[in-house]
Amino acid sequence: MPVTSQHGPMSPTTALITALVLTSLIVPQILTAADAISASTRQAADDVVSLLGSGDADLRAVALDAIRHGLKGDWATRMVADQLASLPPSRQAALLLALADRGDAAALPAAAQVAASASSAEVRAAAVQLIGRLGGPADVAVLVTSLSADGPQRDAARRGLVEIAGPDAAAAIRAAAATGSPATRAAVIDALAERRDRAALPVLVQAAADGDAAVRQAAMRALARFGGPNEIPAMVQSLLKASGDEQRAAELAIASVCTAARNAGPSTDVLIDRYQAADEPSRSKLLPALARVGGPKVMVIVDAMLADPARRPQGLEALSKWPDATVKDRLLDLLGKADDPQEKDLLLGTLIRIAPLPDNKLNDREKLDLLVKTMALCERTEDKARILERANAIRTIETFRFVVPYLDDPALAEPACRSVVELAHHQKLRDANKDEFTKALDRVLGITTNEELRERVARYKAGQTWDRKKKN
Amino acid sequence: MAYDHIPLDDEFKALAAFDWGADAAPLAKLDAAVIACHGDAALTADLERRFGEIVTGKASRAAKEYACRKLSMIGTAASVPVLAPRLADPAESHMARFALERIPVPAAGDAIRNALGSVSGDLAIGMISSLANRRDAASVKPLAALLGGDAKLAAAAAVALGRIATPDAAAALAAAKPQAGPVADAVIDARLACADAFLAAGDREAASTIYRSVAATVGDAPKTHRSRAVRVAAQSGLLACLDDTVAP
Repeated sequence: MPVTSQHGPMSPTTALITALVLTSLIVPQILTAADAISASTRQAADDVVSLLGSGDADLRAVALDAIRHGLKGDWATRMVADQLASLPPSRQAALLLALADRGDAAALPAAAQVAASASSAEVRAAAVQLIGRLGGPADVAVLVTSLSADGPQRDAARRGLVEIAGPDAAAAIRAAAATGSPATRAAVIDALAERRDRAALPVLVQAAADGDAAVRQAAMRALARFGGPNEIPAMVQSLLKASGDEQRAAELAIASVCTAARNAGPSTDVLIDRYQAADEPSRSKLLPALARVGGPKVMVIVDAMLADPARRPQGLEALSKWPDATVKDRLLDLLGKADDPQEKDLLLGTLIRIAPLPDNKLNDREKLDLLVKTMALCERTEDKARILERANAIRTIETFRFVVPYLDDPALAEPACRSVVELAHHQKLRDANKDEFTKALDRVLGITTNEELRERVARYKAGQTWDRKKKN
Repeated sequence: MAYDHIPLDDEFKALAAFDWGADAAPLAKLDAAVIACHGDAALTADLERRFGEIVTGKASRAAKEYACRKLSMIGTAASVPVLAPRLADPAESHMARFALERIPVPAAGDAIRNALGSVSGDLAIGMISSLANRRDAASVKPLAALLGGDAKLAAAAAVALGRIATPDAAAALAAAKPQAGPVADAVIDARLACADAFLAAGDREAASTIYRSVAATVGDAPKTHRSRAVRVAAQSGLLACLDDTVAP
């Protein structure tokens, strides 16, 4: 074919020069990575695209496997991602998940488009999942927006905000915690907590003072996980603002920081300082948190209250929230001297709660001794019943022997049955004392009409186990 | 390291008298000697000779099996005449083959291949299996000859050819015309194994030829679970052959 130009035919030399000039101008621009791909690999990519559209699930699986593990290169990722729009929803979701496994960020623009526009919740969730796994700071906004969606898309966005990698992405998430609806901000804060993003502590401190309770509570949950002494003042302020369930959750969050192995002492010192500096109404709100922390320094404060008749009820209330059994002698002493029925109830309830706590403050024998002593001080049947039910947390044959005689007491037989059966649940204990357990379990069968207990007895006697029903 | 075999006399006497259930403690020194002989030709030769004497002597089956296990580790061409005659004996064939299969000299493969012509049934399947484990290319012809015969031997031969995976083995499998059933299934699996091996070795063309041929055997609308699995394997292989962005 003769070489021509708009001005007429060219000489061969001119044509060659023109071609070289054009080549030098154009080729560098079009010689992309895709042009370096062999014809064979292009054929493989075409085949994969063709198989994606197949009506045969097996062949589609072959294509998805090739997408996961083969056809390296972002050109292939884009080529495959471009097929998303032409596929039905269930296949879109499968392709998005395969692209997520492939791990190439070149799929992100297509996934973002699907996340924003797909009508199927399953597809949007898969797109969000891909974005969470492969995305960067620019994709945080899509994930945050998806927090407002329903069901799987929201769950995928939550996971994505935890998984999305890189310091810039973390910074974008921190920034997102300050904007948007309270529910979204709370979810973003939960993600920061899950990421254990210590750089987010200033954001969390600010959120702990937020005007919205959901945001405050999310911030307190996060601070409970990795806050320290520096965050205690903000947590105290948040507690002072709270009431009801939020107040109790805030107390537990503060106690969590002050009892965590790291920085427990310094955090407790800050909490005590804040308590000492507070006015009386604030102290009343802080005292339960302080009591939940426990320890000798807090005990000094509580002892001073107990010695002051005007503040004695507060001191007793604090003792009732003590986190371990180190106060047992003090409680027994106070109980022995108590006249007021309400005071007695409080002290007894506390003793029953703390005696079997699995905190290694007491060994099993000491725990049982404490329960036996407490039982001797009980007058009301319901208190005795509570002791029998708490006893099964101490898994020893001595506990079993303490409980069994109460099978003869008609008023306490049912809680005793429950405890005997609970202790029998532990096969090592049961097998080591088989005769005693068999006799007691037979007696339980003669007492209880509770179907679940009877089924458990039958299984334990037959040497079988019993699957505890999961609590909702 | 100089080796004095005299200290092991008691241990070899104990081995000659050893049987299952007896105290195996005296054999510990023999275990140690087998480890120590690495790189020591004199010690190796002496141990090989003395274990061979156990195999050919009147020791119990337990002792002979122990000796065969040791010969599988240190055996040379010198052990082949000791072990080969036992391949046809149902009581000793298994452990003799166990040792020969692992002795890295051509004579060991020759011995197993020769035995294949003189044994039948399970013993023959054992020989086929050992030849496959040795990737014995010289066995392609006798194995190919089995593809048209007894079904159990034919299936075992097909599997072996798939493991040997030379071009000749692949050609023998391609030429096989078994009736539908276990042998045909074994031939298909073996052809896929050959193709996988060719692909792994970088011979994409040979691999894709086999994958394409196997895919054609099940057609576009396979009905059984197995034929669907074959198609998936062949199709995956074909894609892998085309895709040179990924190392085989």
